[in-house]
Amino acid sequence: MKILSERYVPLVVTVGQVVIFPYYILWLKEASLTFTLFTWLFAAFSFSAALGYRLFQARKKPAISFIPFLYMGMGGIYLLVGNISTSFEVLPYLTLIFQVILGFLQGYHHAWHIMQNTFRLHAINHYLLVGMIMVGLSFVKIISPAIFITVFGTILFICGLVFLFKKNKDSVIFKLGDNEETEVE
Amino acid sequence: METSPRNNKKQSIHKNPWFLGTLVCIFVISVLVNIPVEKRKYGLTQSSLTTDYTSLLPERIDRIVKAGSRTELQKIVKEANENRQQISIAGLQHSQGGHTYYKDSIVLDMKTFNKILKIDKQHKTIKVETGATWEDVQEAIQPYGLALKVTQSQSIFTIGGSLSVNAHGRDITFGPMAGTVREMTILTPTGDIKTVTRNDSEEWMKYVFGGYGLFGVILDVTLELTENDVYTIHTEELKTNEYEAYFSNLLRNDGTSMHYARVSVAPHSFLNEMYVIDYKNTGKKDHQTELKKERGARFGKLALDIGRQGGALEDLFWENQKLLIKSLDGDEITRNNAMRGNSAFMEFTKPGRVEVLQEFFVPVAQFEEYISDLRRFLPSNDKNEDFKIHNITVRYAAKDDYTYLNYAKGDMFGLVILIQHGLKEKEIDHAKAIIQGWTDLTLKHGGGYYLPYYQYQTIEQFRKIYPSWEMFHEEKIKRDPNGVFQNIFYDYYFE
Ligand SMILES: Cc1cc2nc3c(=O)[nH]c(=O)nc-3n(C[C@H](O)[C@H](O)[C@H](O)COP(=O)(O)OP(=O)(O)OC[C@H]3O[C@@H](n4cnc5c(N)ncnc54)[C@H](O)[C@@H]3O)c2cc1C
Repeated sequence: MKILSERYVPLVVTVGQVVIFPYYILWLKEASLTFTLFTWLFAAFSFSAALGYRLFQARKKPAISFIPFLYMGMGGIYLLVGNISTSFEVLPYLTLIFQVILGFLQGYHHAWHIMQNTFRLHAINHYLLVGMIMVGLSFVKIISPAIFITVFGTILFICGLVFLFKKNKDSVIFKLGDNEETEVE
Repeated sequence: METSPRNNKKQSIHKNPWFLGTLVCIFVISVLVNIPVEKRKYGLTQSSLTTDYTSLLPERIDRIVKAGSRTELQKIVKEANENRQQISIAGLQHSQGGHTYYKDSIVLDMKTFNKILKIDKQHKTIKVETGATWEDVQEAIQPYGLALKVTQSQSIFTIGGSLSVNAHGRDITFGPMAGTVREMTILTPTGDIKTVTRNDSEEWMKYVFGGYGLFGVILDVTLELTENDVYTIHTEELKTNEYEAYFSNLLRNDGTSMHYARVSVAPHSFLNEMYVIDYKNTGKKDHQTELKKERGARFGKLALDIGRQGGALEDLFWENQKLLIKSLDGDEITRNNAMRGNSAFMEFTKPGRVEVLQEFFVPVAQFEEYISDLRRFLPSNDKNEDFKIHNITVRYAAKDDYTYLNYAKGDMFGLVILIQHGLKEKEIDHAKAIIQGWTDLTLKHGGGYYLPYYQYQTIEQFRKIYPSWEMFHEEKIKRDPNGVFQNIFYDYYFE
């Protein structure tokens, strides 16, 4: 079970993030009033991802202890995005906060993920799965981003719970820093 | 590949968590302050329904014609006469009662008809096409050290749209806007192009100005200008019962050229406190100061949004407004810049609600009695009411003998009211009932209301306040026998 969750949950998350991207973009476009703001929101995501990535490398606590919360955090944000019904006045502000949190979590997750043994195994599966799901989605006529974003948010949240549950169960046997590279600078 | 220690150090700076954290913070703050104010969506469209500034009266139109040449416009008007079609005229559509469109009409979009034709520095005049905005005119005349005589408080309107409502603003010396036009070229409802002056025996100007686009298209006008004077801003806090005397004194001593005031709508000082802003002559002229751009709209809007919450927050907003105004005391400003009030901070786009303007005119000598009656009529705290008042600005509107459908039959104060209410039928009816009551109260004091806004008033109220409506109507039928120029405003009040 541990193997399964550790092996497949990151795959679900990375594939899901790429698949949800077009829907998230549709939503983001609606939420940003101008093209400039649209691009700035991406920039905020990127800067924050760099910070997340770097903080993973500089962490003191074992990384794995954060991962379930990271999934739940991402899931929570996507759930909020999918269900938000606020006035257009505040939406750009909320979106900026969402972008910063998502960017941070994604950067952190990526830094952790690439250090897992399963990462290289995932790469091919990841690309193939994304391709197939995208083709599949082209036949789905529901184009409301909110529905997809909510579903993805729920999946992420469940992934977080699975991971958390497994981590607690296996904490005794889990060896810290198993797959982690030492920082070289 | 080998790297030197120096290079290593350089590389690592951008990987430093503190550096990255600071970058994220700075970036987020800069995005936050630069998130644009959301603009309301309105305007001319053929694919869906056309609206104006408030979107209260959506209507399908036949087509939009972007005004190009005079002959093209003339052809459209002549064809409309032959084919019994109707035409409406649109400037920037800041009017709020369907003045710029009509069901199945051809809408002339005048915004593209905006050339500056001639500036005469010696006689201080400008000849300009009427789709130009005040801003366009200011940009053209500012290098010559010239300024407009009369405009609205902001420069965002077209000249055609402004003259068609005979607008007024902060100037207190030059009288009505219509009086600042020396010459006008008009495309009449029957398709003739005429150039007329104030002495024209047919009195075209008297019908066209304040004529709401019903007497043909104003093609160009020659406007009288004045010097771009430099003023010192004087601000003062007053009680509303002191204002009449204060203003009479201001008019008597001709040291002040522009003026406006704001009355509190906050619960604790409701219609009791006010502040005034005077622009006092310094004797200096200006040729160089840049025209100011709107800045800080986001913060202005945030402050207004706080005021919009009502109750204690509206009190807080009022106290802050007073502080802000006090901080302007003693500053210098050019005439051109004093005519460029901000507007973006007023944007409001909450689904299911609308913000509208109404303006009531009351004779100068009646102000005090009017305000005390109004205090009894309106609730001081509208926090839990659907009908909310967010602002009252007071301006002076001098007696107008230049237009027939005139709102200033004597020297008046215009009270511009910023109102918010819901869009459900019940809520609109409630707003109508309040505004009709308010109109009756104004009428009791010998006042009236301004016509570019949404028609909350009844036809009876309109007729009482504008007794010349009948003559206006007869003349409309005479000069536009085929009823070519049409809009929702005319349909409501006259047909
Ligand atoms: C935020 C705000 C602030 C305002 N402040 C002031 C103020 O300080 N003082 C004041 O007096 N008013 C004020 N108004 C009202 C404003 O002056 C009028 O609504 C004015 O008509 C707006 O100009 P516009 O270019 O948007 O005209 P539009 O709304 O496009 O047109 C107004 C009328 O003019 C007619 N028209 C337009 N162009 C021509 C033309 N070339 N020939 C013939 N007819 C034409 C139209 O048919 C219509 O009937 C304000 C309105 C708003 C929304």
